[in-house]
Amino acid sequence: MSEHEQRTPVQLSTVSSDDPRLQPAARRPELVERVIALTFLAGIVLIAGFGACYWINAAPWTLGATFGGGLFFLGVGLIAWGKYLMPRGPFVEERHTLANSPEDRNAFAAAIVERGGGVIKRRKLLGGLLGTGMGIFGVVAAFPLVRSLGPLPKGTLFHTDWAKGTYLVDITGRRVHQDDLAIGSIVTVYPEGMQDTDNGQAVDQTVLIRLSNLDFTTQKGRETWGPQGYVAYSKLCTHLGCPVGLYEQQLQLLVCPCHQSMFDVTNGAIPNFGPAPRPLPQLPLQLDAAGYLQSQADFNQPVGPGFWERA
Amino acid sequence: MKMRTRAPFLALAVLVVAGPVFGLASAALAATNSHTPYQTGRIDAGTPNSTTVVRNSAGQVVSYGNSAITYTAPSPALQALGQSLFLENCASCHGTAANGVPANGTSGAFPNLVGLGPATIDFWIESGRMPAADPRAVQANRRVARLNHDQALAIAAWINSLSPSYPDIPTPNLTNANVSDGAALFALNCAACHTIEGDGDALAAGTYAPSLRNIPAFQVVEAIRTGPGNMPRFTGNLSDYQVADIVKYVTTEIQHPQNPGGFGLGGLGPVAEGFVGLLLGVGLLALVGYWVGERQ
Amino acid sequence: MADVAVNTKRAQRAAAGPYGKLGQSLNELDDRLGIAKGGRTFLDKIFPDHWSFMLGEIALYSFVVLLATGIFLTLYYIPSQDLTTYTGSYLPLYGQKVTEAFASTVNLSFAVRAGLLMRQMHHWSCDIFVGAIVLHMGRVFFTGAFRKPRETNWVIGTTLLILAIVNGFLGYSLPDDLVSGTGIRIAYSIILSIPVVGSYVAFFLFGGNFPGTSIIPRFFILHVLIIPLVILGLVGAHMALLVRQKHTQFPGKGKTENNVVGTPMYPVFMAKTTGFMLVVSGAIALLGAFAQINPIWQFGPYTASRISYAVQPDWYMGFLDGALRIFPAWSFHSFGFTIPLEVTIPAVIFPGILFNLIMAWPAIERKLTGDNEFHNLLDRPSNRPKRTAAGVAVAVMCAMLFIASSTDVIANFFHISLNTVLWAMRVLCVVTPVLAYPLTYKICREMQGFAGAGKRKTTNIVTRTVEGEYVATPAPAYVDDLAHEHEPEALPVPTYVVDEEAVAASDTGGVRRVAR
Repeated sequence: MSEHEQRTPVQLSTVSSDDPRLQPAARRPELVERVIALTFLAGIVLIAGFGACYWINAAPWTLGATFGGGLFFLGVGLIAWGKYLMPRGPFVEERHTLANSPEDRNAFAAAIVERGGGVIKRRKLLGGLLGTGMGIFGVVAAFPLVRSLGPLPKGTLFHTDWAKGTYLVDITGRRVHQDDLAIGSIVTVYPEGMQDTDNGQAVDQTVLIRLSNLDFTTQKGRETWGPQGYVAYSKLCTHLGCPVGLYEQQLQLLVCPCHQSMFDVTNGAIPNFGPAPRPLPQLPLQLDAAGYLQSQADFNQPVGPGFWERA
Repeated sequence: MKMRTRAPFLALAVLVVAGPVFGLASAALAATNSHTPYQTGRIDAGTPNSTTVVRNSAGQVVSYGNSAITYTAPSPALQALGQSLFLENCASCHGTAANGVPANGTSGAFPNLVGLGPATIDFWIESGRMPAADPRAVQANRRVARLNHDQALAIAAWINSLSPSYPDIPTPNLTNANVSDGAALFALNCAACHTIEGDGDALAAGTYAPSLRNIPAFQVVEAIRTGPGNMPRFTGNLSDYQVADIVKYVTTEIQHPQNPGGFGLGGLGPVAEGFVGLLLGVGLLALVGYWVGERQ
Repeated sequence: MADVAVNTKRAQRAAAGPYGKLGQSLNELDDRLGIAKGGRTFLDKIFPDHWSFMLGEIALYSFVVLLATGIFLTLYYIPSQDLTTYTGSYLPLYGQKVTEAFASTVNLSFAVRAGLLMRQMHHWSCDIFVGAIVLHMGRVFFTGAFRKPRETNWVIGTTLLILAIVNGFLGYSLPDDLVSGTGIRIAYSIILSIPVVGSYVAFFLFGGNFPGTSIIPRFFILHVLIIPLVILGLVGAHMALLVRQKHTQFPGKGKTENNVVGTPMYPVFMAKTTGFMLVVSGAIALLGAFAQINPIWQFGPYTASRISYAVQPDWYMGFLDGALRIFPAWSFHSFGFTIPLEVTIPAVIFPGILFNLIMAWPAIERKLTGDNEFHNLLDRPSNRPKRTAAGVAVAVMCAMLFIASSTDVIANFFHISLNTVLWAMRVLCVVTPVLAYPLTYKICREMQGFAGAGKRKTTNIVTRTVEGEYVATPAPAYVDDLAHEHEPEALPVPTYVVDEEAVAASDTGGVRRVAR
C-alpha cells in the first residue's frame, strides 16, 4: 500500500501500540525534529530579544518585531510537532444521540407540565397575582436603568445660543468685522463667549462666507439677512450633524465631508446632491455701528439632523 | 476701522500714506474690470496694512509684513521680461492683455488675470499648474514647474503692473511659529478639504483638494492668502502669525509625520487599515490555518 | 512491620503506582473532584481537522489577544472628558486643551514603554477578530453546519458578531480623537432619527445634548466590562455546545453521520491549537510592530466644530457608512413630525432586517426545504446551489456597501468625479446582488453536473474488452466508504460491451468493420 493510502479511522481506546496510525506523519521524523528545534531556537532568541529591546527602551517596532516573531516561530514549531511528529491518526469516535429515551422525556415533560403546571392550576389566583407582580417588576425595574441616565429633551433641540445682537466671534474669541473677509473667504464663527463651550462648538457652530452680490439669490423673507455679501449658515449638516466645513468657492458649494451632501451656498444652502434632506438653516445677520457682525435672532428652525418632533 | 497695534502713530502715518495709494489703486482696478479687489480690516493679514511697509523712491510698495511673514513685490525691472514670457507661454489662453477669454464651448473660462496680485500668479506658475497641461481639465494638477522662480516673478511683475494688487510674494519666517497652534488651526480650517493627514481628497464634480506632502512653505502662504481655484481665501480671519503657525505645521508634521507605529499606510485611515487587516491579517492566518488543518 | 525497605526509592516508586508521582496526584484530584472519567473522555475527544475549521480559532485567539492587551490598556487609559492641558512629548499637541481620555491615550502611545505596541495590537486584533468571525460564519453557512442540532450555536454566533462590532465601535471611540468623535456624532444623530422615542433615547444615552460629558465614561464601562462579560459568556456557551454536540465534518473515508473522525484532543489537537494561538498572537504583534493603525496624535482631539475629510469608520462599520452615503434624501415630514428616512432606513431598519434574517436563517431554511433531520455531515457548497446563491448575493451586497463607504477615496484614487462614483455605487448595490444570485446558482449547478468537479483526481481502471474497446471506470476511492450517498456515482460501463451474447452471435466478432 502506498504512503498516501487513505487509512481507515480507528477507535483510540482500541488501537494497539504498534498500529501505524500511532506513528508520526513525517517520513523522516529525525529531520523534521531538527527543523522544529531550529524553529524553536529562533523563537527563543527572538523572545529573549524582546526582553532585551524592552530593557534598553528600543523603538516600538523592535518590541513588536521580536515579540511577534518569537511567538510566531514558537507557534509554527508547535504546530509542526503536532502535525508531523505526533500520532497521525485518523481516529474515530462514535457520536451518541443527544436525545434521551422516550421514558426520560415523558418524565421530564410530566414534571413540568403536570406537577408544576398542576400546582398553578390549583391555585390560579396565586399564580395570576405572582405573574402580575413579576410583570410589573419587569416594567418598573427598567425605570432607573433608563430614565436616570439623562434629562428629557424638552425644547433643547429647538434652540441655539444665537439671539438678537449676539456678536459673531471666531475660535480665538475675536469679533468678526465686515472688512475682515474677502469675497471667497470662509470662517467658522460662534456666539460671543461660547467659542470654548461644548454647546457653542456642537450646536451653535456657524460658517460665515462672503459672497459677491452678483452670485447670490436672496431667499424670500431673508432680504436683510446678508449685509455686505455676508451669509451665515449653520455648520451642522442636516443629514447626520457633521460640521460642513468644506467650501468650494468657485462651485459655490458647501460639501459635507462625512457623506458628501452638497449645499448650494448662493441659493439658501439647498442640498442638490447627496443624502441631506433639508437646507442648512441660515443665520440672519446685521452690522453694528462700528461694522461688527451680529446675529439678528436665533435660527428660524432647529439646526442639525432630523428627529421625530421636528415639524 | 479698529486699530490694534503697539505703535499707533506709526500705523497712523502708514495709513496716511497708504490710504490714498490704496484708494487710487482700487479706483483704477474698478475702472478696468469688474473684479472686486479684496480688502481686509485686519492689520497683519496679507495686505500692506501691516506694521512695516517699505517703499521705493517712486512711492511703490517694495515690501511689507512682520516678523512672521514678509511680502515682497516683484521688482518692476522684470516687467519687460515678464511680458515677453507671458506672450510666449500664457497669452494663447489668457489673451495678450491678460484679461482672459470668456467661456464659449470650452470647459471653462480662461480667467482674467488682471488685478489678481503677484502671489496668485506666482503660486499657479511655481506649482507647475500653469501653463496648463490640459486646458480642458476640470482642475490643473501640481506638476514640475515649466518656468522657474525668476521667470514666475517676472510674469507676476508684468501682470501686477497692469493693475497693482495684493498680496505680494510671501516669505514666511518660521522661527517663532508655534506648531501646536498651527495644528489646531489646520484642524479647524484646512482638514475639511485636505484631510487631517494632509493627503487631499476628491471634492464635487471632478475637483479635488490636493495633497500637501510636497508643497514648499511660501506656496502654502500664497494658497492660504489667495485661495486658488475652489480653495477659499483666508484673509482677515487669519493673522500672519497664525498663517506662519499653519505653515510650520504643514512643513513639519504633515510633510514629515511621526509614525512611531510603523508604516503609515498612506495616511488613508481605516480604509487602508481594513485592507491590511483583512488581506494581510486574516488572509495570512487563514493560510496558516490551511497548513495546520487537513485537506479532507 | 518495621521493614527497612519501606523508605527506599524502589519502595516509594512501587507505592506510587504504575504512573508515578503524577498519577498519584491525579488520583488525589479524582478523590476530591471526580474528574478521572470525564477527564479521560475529554482528552480522548476527536476533532475533525479540516483547514476550514481553523477560521473560528482565528476569531477565538484574536479575542484572547484582545483581552490580554485590553487589560494592559485599562491600566493607563483615563475614561474622562474633563479637560486638561497636554504637556507630553508630542509637540504639535503641546499646550492644547484636550480631554483626559485623549491625553492619556497619547501618553500611552508615547510615554509608556510598549504602550504603543499594545494599543496597536489591540486595534489590529479587533479588525482581525471581526474578519475571522465573518469568514467563520461564511464557512458555517455555506457548508450547512447551522442545521439541526446546531441552530442555537448559530444564533449565539450571530449575537457574538453583533457584540464584536458594537464593542469595536465603542473601543475605537474611547480615545476621543477627531476621527472617532465624528463617528460618535453620527451615532447620536442615528439614534435621534428613531421615530417617536429617538430624542429621548439619545438624551438618556448621552446624558443630554451632544456631546455631553457622560458618553466616554459610559462607552468605557460598556467596552471593558459589560460587553466583554457577555461575549465571554457566549463564547463559553458556543464552545460548550460544540463539545457537547461534537464538531461537524465533511463526508469522506470512514466518516458517517454517527461518528467523528480526526485527531485526539490530547496531545495532537492541543499542540496544534496552542501553536495556532501563538501564531495568531505573533501575527498580530508583527502587524502591531510594522503597520501603524489609528495614529490619534496626528488626528488631534475631537472638538465638535472640527472635521476631517476622508473619514471612514473601521472596516466592520463600513457597510453602515456606505448605506448612509448612497441612500437618497427621502425625508418623511408631515403632521408636525419628521421621520428622517434617509437615516432611519439605512442605519436602523436595514441592519435590523439584515441581522434578523441572518439569525433566523436556520428556521427559514428548515421551512423552505422541509428538512428537520439531524445533520452532522457538511455539504459541499456547490451541492446546495440555492443556499449558496442566496448567501453569495447577500455577501455581494454587503461588499458593495463596504466599497460605497469609500466613495471619496475611490474618486480620488481613480480620478473620477465624486458624483459619478456615488451614482455608480447606488446602482451597483442594487444590481450586483440581483445578478449574483442566478450567476452563483448556475456555477453551482455546473459544478454538480461535472463528474469529479471539486474532487481530487482518482485513479481509473482501464479494461480492454475482447473486441478491443477500452473502457475506463474510476477506481473506487474508498474501500469501505459508508457515505457514498454524497459521492457522484461511478460512470456506468457501457452496456453494449457487456452484451456478450450479441458479440458471440455477430459474424464479425463484435468488431465494427467499415466498408471501404
